[in-house]
Amino acid sequence: MSWWDVFINELRAIFFNRSIVLTVFGGVIFYSFLYPLPYSQQVPREQKVVVVNLDESQLSRKLERMVDATPQVELSERAYSVEEAEKLFLEKRLAGILVIPENFYRDLLLGHQPTLSFAGDASYILVYSTVLEGMLGAGGTMSAEVKVTRMVMSGQAMALAAEQYSAIRLNSRPAFNETMGYVNYIVPAVFILILHQTLIIGVGLLGGGQNKKRLDGEGGYWLQASPLKLLMVRALIFAAIYWILSLYYFGFCFVYYGVPHLADAAELHLLLLPFLLSAAMLGICIGAVLPRCELATLIVLLTSMPLVFGAGFVWPTVAIPAPIATILNMVPVVPAIQGFLRLNQMGADFQAIIPLWKQLWLLAGGYGFLAWLLLHRHQALAEKQRVAKHSCEQSLSEIDNISQQLS
Amino acid sequence: MGRSFFSIVLREVRELAHDRWLFSLVSWIPLALFFVMFQMFSQQIPRELPLGVIDLDKSTLSRGLIRHYQVSPALEVDDHFFDMSQGAEALRNGDIYALAVIPADLSQDVMLGRPTQVTVFVNDQLLLIGKIINSSLLQAHATFTGQVEAGKNLLGSTQVIELAVSQAAPTASKVTALFNLSVNYAQFLVSAILPAIWQILMIVTTIVSLANSQRLYGGNSWLGEEVVTSLFAKFLPLSILFSLQGALFFSAMYVWQGWPMHGNWLLIFFAQLLTAWASIAAGSLFFFATRGKVETSLSLAASYAAPALAFMGVTFPVTDMTLPARIWRSFLPITHYVEVQFAQVNYGAAVESAVPQLLSLTVFAIPMILAFVLAQRSCRFVNGGAGE
Repeated sequence: MSWWDVFINELRAIFFNRSIVLTVFGGVIFYSFLYPLPYSQQVPREQKVVVVNLDESQLSRKLERMVDATPQVELSERAYSVEEAEKLFLEKRLAGILVIPENFYRDLLLGHQPTLSFAGDASYILVYSTVLEGMLGAGGTMSAEVKVTRMVMSGQAMALAAEQYSAIRLNSRPAFNETMGYVNYIVPAVFILILHQTLIIGVGLLGGGQNKKRLDGEGGYWLQASPLKLLMVRALIFAAIYWILSLYYFGFCFVYYGVPHLADAAELHLLLLPFLLSAAMLGICIGAVLPRCELATLIVLLTSMPLVFGAGFVWPTVAIPAPIATILNMVPVVPAIQGFLRLNQMGADFQAIIPLWKQLWLLAGGYGFLAWLLLHRHQALAEKQRVAKHSCEQSLSEIDNISQQLS
Repeated sequence: MGRSFFSIVLREVRELAHDRWLFSLVSWIPLALFFVMFQMFSQQIPRELPLGVIDLDKSTLSRGLIRHYQVSPALEVDDHFFDMSQGAEALRNGDIYALAVIPADLSQDVMLGRPTQVTVFVNDQLLLIGKIINSSLLQAHATFTGQVEAGKNLLGSTQVIELAVSQAAPTASKVTALFNLSVNYAQFLVSAILPAIWQILMIVTTIVSLANSQRLYGGNSWLGEEVVTSLFAKFLPLSILFSLQGALFFSAMYVWQGWPMHGNWLLIFFAQLLTAWASIAAGSLFFFATRGKVETSLSLAASYAAPALAFMGVTFPVTDMTLPARIWRSFLPITHYVEVQFAQVNYGAAVESAVPQLLSLTVFAIPMILAFVLAQRSCRFVNGGAGE
């Protein structure tokens, strides 16, 4: 079979297979809208908090207003005791409690240090940190105001100096995801995973389906073409399809969702190539060992969660135990997510991601070789099966002949 | 009737062991997945996250501050950076998660009582990691500030600095992390990830089990005359299995790992049983809606169940989701279950408070009925076709 014949046969096998088309095109487009959906507001805002004001002074009311004015927090409820606040907190599933102590104003004037109590629901950690950010921010501003007022009232410039003396403030600034938005956080990484997973399902459905036909004794172009040709053509076709889909993600979707994209286009393409090839090769290997095509979807679906959390963008890579990290590093999506995040989100030089780039090429080569071995073996097995069937038929017809002659 | 139902159930149980893949799905795969997730988060709170420091001051004071960063278990200080460009490059390349810049005149400013600050650039592309680093740094600053102050004793009375974020200020702050006292990130993530994996497992197992019968007996013939009976007989052992899986991952979290659980165990198990039936309903609807085309129904199941975690409202609050997101969310059984789980585990909420979620789970009887109707129709079509 010539390259061209293999190419035409492959295209037909892909585009006439409804499941493949549905998964590859339908899946990629559907996910591009579904995944960012819950995060479309980017940052949690106006989390509902209950306030207990035991002081009821003018100053404490001012503090309430300041907390309420922060974008993170909304004082939606008011309670008159801590117990009542706890009850409200549980009943209405609020995000936090703010307690302004008794004699807050008096203690401040006397120079005693009154304690503001904040509580947040830490079972939702990201919401918790948002709420605390808002409440502590307002509390800090209030403190600073009081400090200035006190200094002016006392007329002692030293008072301010003495108090500020110790505070080496921490000025924390987000380096890349400047808005600290969730879409910017989730989308760039998860989209790589979607490309990877749907690509493997697509290739796996094709390979698994052909494998089942072979086991059922059916033949086809995939048993006649040389394994190397089949392998190369299949990987290149899927890489080409996913090239277009990647452009849809990196181009249209990133712009649509306002996700920063810092990478040079040429460098992005340079990283895409080994990523798509290695994923395709892995898909061919998976397809070749499966007795039925639907198992490809099954395997990919079940491994999604470990891959999301093992890719290093949620849970730090250094915190993942070595045996698990080793296995994860053999899946193309893991180095790919790290590479694309650095290149496109963090603006790293291509030089810096060369180790990841090499790793992807190594995976492409390794899985390619494995796939070649598997396809080779399948053809040998199919040939054996054919020969056995043939000789069996021959002996059967001979027996027929003999029995006819005998009768 | 009763006896025949029982015999079909027995047949179904035998079939679970018949196919290697189906058997794996109901035996070692759930165990392996749960175990891997526990292992992955076994550090509970990440340790030794690389932090770059540029010390432009190079004084005793700045070195003391850096030692305080180093003492924090979450941070691993790398202070061999000499200038901004070097540090910025390391941050961009992902070698460090954050870069702290100590200004040249830090000790001088401190001596003169001028306000001064350390600027830290945190890689918030990795939002959660960024937050961990941020809170560790705040804590380090608070303790350092307290020590310097005590040493100099300028204020005459030592201020007690309760917690990380409070600064030397007229008011003190006390922060309480409710329900997750140690702010354990593993507890937060794993308690949502495992239910999400469980739902995926339930839906795909349902589909694979239906496909298995289809393959064994050819077409819909296994459904026989009594479609509803046959389906119930298939789903009953599955629902028991799924409930066991649920009980397993739940116990692994709150018994094996020993995380605090304040609620009602029976209510959790009941909610899990309903969730199992709701997931079976979803899986069987996918199967019969695609006329038993297993790879298509699995593809649909993938787009349905894989992103469920994002919609749970654990990482991002439900109140901030847009209407379409909230609608999609309500179609996922696991989001209702997770609400019950969180309310019970964290707040020890009253049993009655779970009623809305449990009712929502019973609404999944509708897709179940729909699946039955589709199954019945496909049978009639096949039987009718054979009659002609």
